[in-house]
Amino acid sequence: MTEELKVAVDRKGNGAVLYTKGYINNVGGEEIANRAYELMDADVRTLLLNLRETKIVNSIGISILIEIIEKMIDKGGTIAFCCLTPVIHKTFQIMGLANYARIFDNEEAAMSELGL
Amino acid sequence: MTYVGLSSPTCGPGRTRESGLVRNCYPSTLLMSPLAHHFAELLHDLQQLERAALPSHGALIFDAFNKHTPFDVGAVYVRDARGSEMRLAAKSNQCVAPEILDDAEAELPLDPAPRHVIPMRTARDHFGVVTLAGDTASDEDLQMLNAAGSYAASLISNHRLSLEMREGDFQLKYRLWELESLYDIGLSIAGTLNIDALADEILFRMISLINARRAALFLRDGDKFRVYRSFGDTRSDFLDDEITDRVVAAGEALTFEDASECIFPGCIATVAVPIKGNNAVIGVLAAGDRETREGDVGAFEANELRLLSLFANQVAIALENARLHKEALEKQAMQRELDLAATIQSDILPKSIPVVEGIELAALSKPAKQVGGDYHAFFQREGTLTAIVADVSGKSMPAALLVSAFHAAVQLLFAEGRELGDIATELNRHIHSWSAENKFITMIIATIDPEAETIQFINAGHNPCYVITGDRIEQLRSHGLPIGILGSSKYMTQTRPFPAGSTVVLYSDGICEAENAAGDEWGNEAFEELLARHANSSASAVRDAIAEAVDTFVADAPQKDDETLVVARTATA
Repeated sequence: MTEELKVAVDRKGNGAVLYTKGYINNVGGEEIANRAYELMDADVRTLLLNLRETKIVNSIGISILIEIIEKMIDKGGTIAFCCLTPVIHKTFQIMGLANYARIFDNEEAAMSELGL
Repeated sequence: MTYVGLSSPTCGPGRTRESGLVRNCYPSTLLMSPLAHHFAELLHDLQQLERAALPSHGALIFDAFNKHTPFDVGAVYVRDARGSEMRLAAKSNQCVAPEILDDAEAELPLDPAPRHVIPMRTARDHFGVVTLAGDTASDEDLQMLNAAGSYAASLISNHRLSLEMREGDFQLKYRLWELESLYDIGLSIAGTLNIDALADEILFRMISLINARRAALFLRDGDKFRVYRSFGDTRSDFLDDEITDRVVAAGEALTFEDASECIFPGCIATVAVPIKGNNAVIGVLAAGDRETREGDVGAFEANELRLLSLFANQVAIALENARLHKEALEKQAMQRELDLAATIQSDILPKSIPVVEGIELAALSKPAKQVGGDYHAFFQREGTLTAIVADVSGKSMPAALLVSAFHAAVQLLFAEGRELGDIATELNRHIHSWSAENKFITMIIATIDPEAETIQFINAGHNPCYVITGDRIEQLRSHGLPIGILGSSKYMTQTRPFPAGSTVVLYSDGICEAENAAGDEWGNEAFEELLARHANSSASAVRDAIAEAVDTFVADAPQKDDETLVVARTATA
C-alpha cells in the first residue's frame, strides 16, 4: 500500500474530473486542494472527484475537502464525488460533506448529471 | 499637532494635511457629512474582516485605518486567542514596532511614538490595538476612531465565534464518526472472515481513526511478532524485542517518542497496542506520526490511545473469528478428502462374499477411522479360493494411499495367474520401490484347495493365523519379513493339509490386540479358547462369535485399530 496521494486531472470543457489514488490526509488533501484551486482559477466551475482508488481518508483530509467545497460554492460552482468505498461514503455523510456536495455511485452517472 | 480631521478620498490621491476637518472637499450633493462618510467608508472596509482568513485580519484593519484616516504611520497588534500576548499583525513601512506588545506598558516602544492607541475591545474580550502616529485627533474624531476600533473588535469576535462554532460542529461530527467507526468496525471486521481482507480493513480503519500517517499489523510468529500488513515501510519484519516486552507487559496502548524505538523509519512518534486473544497476546497494532490540523506530525494524545485500545479489542475478536473460520474451512477440506478416501477404499474392499463350491466364507471389516490401513480380498481360480488379509503400517490417509497402491498391484499380479510365493516376492519388490522408507505391509495370503484338501499360504510378518481341524488348532506363522521392508526378500509358498471340515481364520492385529478401557488386550489366548469352543461352527458363526467377544471385551472403549477378519471353512465330506 502506498502512502502518497496521486492526483490526475481530466479537463471536460468547463469542468474537470480529479482522480485520486491513495490516502487523503493532510498532505494528500493539500495536493487535491492545489489542483482544485488551480482549476477554479481557470474558471472551472464543475468539479468531480473520483475516489475509486482511495481507501482511506482522515479527519484532516475531510476538513480540507470541506474547504474546497466551500470555496467552490463561493464561486457559484458545483463539486461532486463518485466511486466512494462504503466506509468513505458513510464518513462523508456523517461529516456533512454530503449536504454540500453530490455523491454518485459511478462516474457515468455523475458525468451525465453534471453535464460533463 | 494641529490636524485632527479625517481624509477624504474625494480630495484626490494625496492626503489632506491642512488643519481642520476636510468637510469642504466633499460634494455638496451628499446628505451625509464628510466625517460621517469617511467613518462609513472605514466601517465598510472593516466589514471585509467577516469573510477574511484570520491571518489577514491585521493587514485589513491597518489598510482600512490607513485609507480612511490621515494617520498613515502606525501598527496593528492582534491577540490570537483570549489571554494570549498581542502580536504585531501589520504596520506601516515607516514604523519600527516590536513583535510582541506588552499592553501594561505606559509608553509603547514604537517609533515614531503613537499619538493614539485605539483599542479593539468588546465587553468580553480585548482583541488588540491600532496604534496611530501623527497629529492629535479631535475628541469627535477620536470617538469615531474608538467606535471603529470597537466595530473591528465585534467583527473579529463574530468571526472567531463563527470559526469556533464550525470547529465545534466539525468536532462533534468527528466524535460521532469515531463512535460510528468503532461500531462499524465491530460489525465489519467481525464479518470479514478472510484474514487478508481483514488485515487491510483493520489498517485502513485505524489510520483514519487516529489520523496516523503510517501503520502496521504484527501477528504472532512463535515468540516474536511479524509484520502481516503495513501501510508504509516498517524498520524490520519483526517487532523490536524490547517494544514487544513493554507492550505485552503493559497490556494497553503505549507511545514511543525516542527515535531508536520508532517502528517506522524516520517516524517522530509511534503508538503500539497489544491485540489480546483469549489466552495470550496474538498481535500488535502500531501506528506512526499523528497528523495535526496545522500540517505537522506529532505524538498521539491520550484520547487516541484510548480509542486505539478499544479498537484493538474489536480487532482481537475479529482475528479470532477469522482464525476459527480458517480452521473450520481447513477441517471441512480435510473431511472432504477423508470422505473421498473412504469412498475409494470402500470401493477397493470386496462388496460381497464370493460363493465357492465346497467352501463357506465369512468376513468382517471395521476400520477404526474413516479410512484405514487394513485390506482384504478374495480370488477364485480353478476351484480354489485365495483370501488375503493385509495391514499397512500407519493409519488414516497415508495408510489408505498405500492400501490403494497395494490393491492395484495385488489385482494385477493375481490376474497374471502367478503362484503365491512369486506374487508375494513381486509385491515386496514393488512396494519397497514405490513407498516411503518407513512404510511396510504385513500380509497373509492363503489358498484353499477343497479337492486337494490343502492350504497354501504366505505369511509376511503378519499375525499367526489359525487352522482348526477337529479339536486341533494350528498356527500359520510368519516366515518372512513384512512386504516393503527389504527389496531383495523372496517368499516361499508354505503348504499344509486342510482336510474337509477344516476352518481357517485370517485376521488383523486389531482383533487380537483390541483394548478395553483399562488398556488390556483381548489377546491370542482368549482368541484360541473361543476358536476351540467353535471348532465345528460355521464360518459365519465363528466370525460372529469373534466379533461379539471382541465387542464385549472392548465395551465402551474407543476402537483403537482397524479390525479385519476372514473365516473360511470347507464342507465336511
